[in-house]
Amino acid sequence: MSDATLTRERPIAVTPARKATGWLRNPWRKPRILQAVTLGYLAWSILPVIIAIVFSFNDGRSRSTWQGFSMRWWYQDPFDSVWHDQALRTAMFQTFKLSTLTVLFAVPLGTAFAIGIDRWHGRPATTANFFMLFSFVMPEIILGVSLFLLFTNLLENAVHLGTAAQFLGLVTFQMSYPVIIVRARLLSIGPEYEEAAMDLGAPPRQSLRRVLLPLLGPAILASAALVFADSVDDFVTVRYLSGPASSEPLSVKIYSLARAAATPAVNAAATIMLIATLGVVALAWFAFRRITRGRGEEMSAAGLAEF
Amino acid sequence: MSAHPRRRPSALNRRDFLRKSFGAAVALPSAAAILAACSKPGTTSSGGGGGTTGNGARVLARPDDPVTLPMTQDPIPTDTPIEGGTLNVYNWDAYMYKKVLSAFEDEFGVSVQWTTFNNMEEGIQKLTSGQVEADVFFPTTDYVARLVEAGLLQPLNHELIPNMPANVWPVFNDPGPYYDLGWRYTIPYTIYTTGVAYRRDRLDDADAAAKGYELFFDSLFKDEVSYYDSYRDALGMMLLRDGVMDPNSDDPAAIGKAKDAILEMINANGARLTINGAYAKLPEGEFGIAQSWSGDIVGAKYYLPKGTPEDVLGYWYPPDGKGLVGNDTIVIPSGAKSPRLAHEFLNFFLDEHWGYLNFADWNGYQPPFTSIVPDKLVSDGVVLPTLSSAVVNEKSFTTGYIQGELSADTDALWLDAWNEIQAGG
Amino acid sequence: MASDAGAVTGRPDGKTPKNRSEISYGRWYWPSFTFPGILWLAALFILPFYVVLSVAFGTVDPLFRLPLPVYQPWWWSVDTFRTTFEKFTSGSHIYLDPLTRTLVYVGLASLICLVLGYAVAYYTARYAGRWKWLILVLLISPFWISYLMRIYAWQSLLQPDGYINDALGVFGVAPIIWVGRPITVVLGLVYGYIPFMILPLFGFLDRIDQNLLEAGRDLGASSYQTFRRVTLPLSKPGILAGLVIVSLPMFGDYYTNNLLGSTNTSMYGNLIDSAVGQAGQGPEAGSLVLILIVLVMIPMLYYLRSTRRQTEAA
Repeated sequence: MSDATLTRERPIAVTPARKATGWLRNPWRKPRILQAVTLGYLAWSILPVIIAIVFSFNDGRSRSTWQGFSMRWWYQDPFDSVWHDQALRTAMFQTFKLSTLTVLFAVPLGTAFAIGIDRWHGRPATTANFFMLFSFVMPEIILGVSLFLLFTNLLENAVHLGTAAQFLGLVTFQMSYPVIIVRARLLSIGPEYEEAAMDLGAPPRQSLRRVLLPLLGPAILASAALVFADSVDDFVTVRYLSGPASSEPLSVKIYSLARAAATPAVNAAATIMLIATLGVVALAWFAFRRITRGRGEEMSAAGLAEF
Repeated sequence: MSAHPRRRPSALNRRDFLRKSFGAAVALPSAAAILAACSKPGTTSSGGGGGTTGNGARVLARPDDPVTLPMTQDPIPTDTPIEGGTLNVYNWDAYMYKKVLSAFEDEFGVSVQWTTFNNMEEGIQKLTSGQVEADVFFPTTDYVARLVEAGLLQPLNHELIPNMPANVWPVFNDPGPYYDLGWRYTIPYTIYTTGVAYRRDRLDDADAAAKGYELFFDSLFKDEVSYYDSYRDALGMMLLRDGVMDPNSDDPAAIGKAKDAILEMINANGARLTINGAYAKLPEGEFGIAQSWSGDIVGAKYYLPKGTPEDVLGYWYPPDGKGLVGNDTIVIPSGAKSPRLAHEFLNFFLDEHWGYLNFADWNGYQPPFTSIVPDKLVSDGVVLPTLSSAVVNEKSFTTGYIQGELSADTDALWLDAWNEIQAGG
Repeated sequence: MASDAGAVTGRPDGKTPKNRSEISYGRWYWPSFTFPGILWLAALFILPFYVVLSVAFGTVDPLFRLPLPVYQPWWWSVDTFRTTFEKFTSGSHIYLDPLTRTLVYVGLASLICLVLGYAVAYYTARYAGRWKWLILVLLISPFWISYLMRIYAWQSLLQPDGYINDALGVFGVAPIIWVGRPITVVLGLVYGYIPFMILPLFGFLDRIDQNLLEAGRDLGASSYQTFRRVTLPLSKPGILAGLVIVSLPMFGDYYTNNLLGSTNTSMYGNLIDSAVGQAGQGPEAGSLVLILIVLVMIPMLYYLRSTRRQTEAA
């Protein structure tokens, strides 16, 4: 390497100061600082969650002082454990229900929108795109409060607060994710494949179905996984749009209990949802891998970056 | 927002006051009507809903100015058969003992459906809009008059609730509570006082009694003070501390002083506004002083961590009984599907045995029964001996200061002060 | 990419057909795909804004003082809006503090997100080597671990008897009350939103052609210079995107403060949240929401304009 050659040809006394600056200046050195920062960040990011999971097995009521191992909050405690607490179970079920429904609607709507907006140009398209992007970065409280006011005033007979309202709110909020991810993917695919298909005689509708959609498969899957995870986590919108206690998903329950009197049962319930979400994401990942076998496509992360 | 002893901070829902069913006579225009209307909403002169006082001139009930609510309809006849099926109960979360509910279900062969609300505004709205169908409802006293005016409640048939005169304090029976003379629409559910809870391992009783409300400002407990995140209770207690013995004060100066006091305790002494400070965090040791409802501190013993002795909890209330006091009520909405069964439900909760069990084994919030004697509570182990001041007796109900309904303008004053506190002062 | 090139073909409306689908199915074939989405947004995104306007400029019912929206613009009353606005600007401007605090917290948190996030993204993109995928998975994990659970976990650690104080105790530091301090809230915001910064940055940095960097080095630039003159400019769009995605939602955050802060650290979102729950304050809540929309719209428009300029230049 040129660097090494240079240093060999110029014998200089290697003092400690030289060593330090030399180390700093060496462009090929291992980036210890960055490495430490990254590892530190990962620990900061993940460790609290691991500790929270561990504490779900705490013997006492505390979430911060370890008092021994027990399955009390999972199924033993006859009133407050996850197994026995009807309210927590209802909340978990509600979370699952809402998230699944949201994915089923948001992903097709978003994907269709992305395909359409990609090929449509002009002022109306830009406006539509603007609103879609706005719904993406807008603080969620705006959407939550606006929908709340909508459902309690203008549409109060049509839609009651509760699961229906929460579902509508969630899809509205989540729709922008598939749009962004699929759009990014579309940009990187380009029109060549479809054109090739049509050159070979496929009618446009078929080329859409058999060429474009499969190509978009990974992006659609990624956005489905993301929408699911984000819906499980969503809480601002669903909280404002909750109706009876049975319509409160787990995220809202965690929030209320965190401000009231949380027991490790909440940790246990959150862990269950985490595992469920992990399961869904893993499913999507495997499907993703199957589709992109060997094609070495970009991950959804890069797709997000395209935006 | 106005909190309640059992309110857990949770979902907010507000719905417009829609004049649906319940035979309401208040004629506020509906959304569709507004669009077609020729007059501006809110200015239509609508006749008061069956009330004799008319719109906006309603008398606010006070202990020294009691109110007889108008009869908006006749109570159900005594010989109405008891309905079967389901009884819809609309109540705060965790406010009733499931065992008592099961007993009720067994006795009448029905099933009880318990729908919850998280704050009173939410409860009121869902009820008025018809989203929740309730046979039984648990409002706070300041809403009773308004609910009656809106035609949302039905009067009770006293013959069907014999436990009321039999078991409940005379002050609720005859002449009846100030907000509902003659108990036409309500029965009391729980009564409570609002005082100062403290850790007896940090402060002895004599000291606590000497300092009283000043404990919130005591630098000994810097950063360990909890105060209720509820504007009526928060400002109300400071009004009492300032010597303004009126928790319904409409004096802007007094309210301003109360607000400044709260800001002082937050800024100078690190106080925090919470809802769980008394029943959950004080036993855990996170707080040393907490504004507390009596039921909260009685129930706090369940939150003591392992190894902490029970006598560590203390409660101070003005010994002359001149502190904040309040009660909850049970009512029957006018649209109830099973009113006869609802009457039985009210009667059931006034039963000496079941009402007591509800309190002793679950609630911590005491029902106003004549059979409940403070000494018995302590000897039964329901209330810790160190917390005997948390037991409410009939006298404190007459000497104490009760939070009542505020007029719109006064309420705005209070809320403005509260907003300033919440915005960080 | 198909561009808005001027008409060359002899179509009467002067628009070039973009592709063969258009030729077969007409000009509205592709746009029609967007219609379900547009309809949904119109009904559940745009319409609610009108309701917010109606509530903010409306009134309250006299009995229970619930918000009474006024849908006809000619009856709109700006009284409440003016009062709310004045709470920012005049008198004891009680709302100004939360607003400034929000700006400061969001600014600080975004900055920390940027610096920390960039470092992590940079490392992962350039140096992680065979650990890259593992680190990436770990970086993505916050997306599917509920934000609430993470903040809740954090809250447990920050309790007076939590592990953070325990760890500090090893160094002889007395237990600190973490909840209620501005630093806790700012770090909480960082904790919640930093994944949204790292991933776009990573995407950008990952794509930077390694050759460009090597060329810089070969030409004698130090690693710092390479970074400053090659990497940084190339990652500018990523930085901008990350900043927008991270900072704008933070403006409406109220739950981080509710869980980790106190009234002294209250933010703009808390103002809205308490107003929505109070009797008689519906119009005020609506006014606050409107002001927030305007506040957020400005950087958003700026960002869109700058990215459009970029894509047009590309």
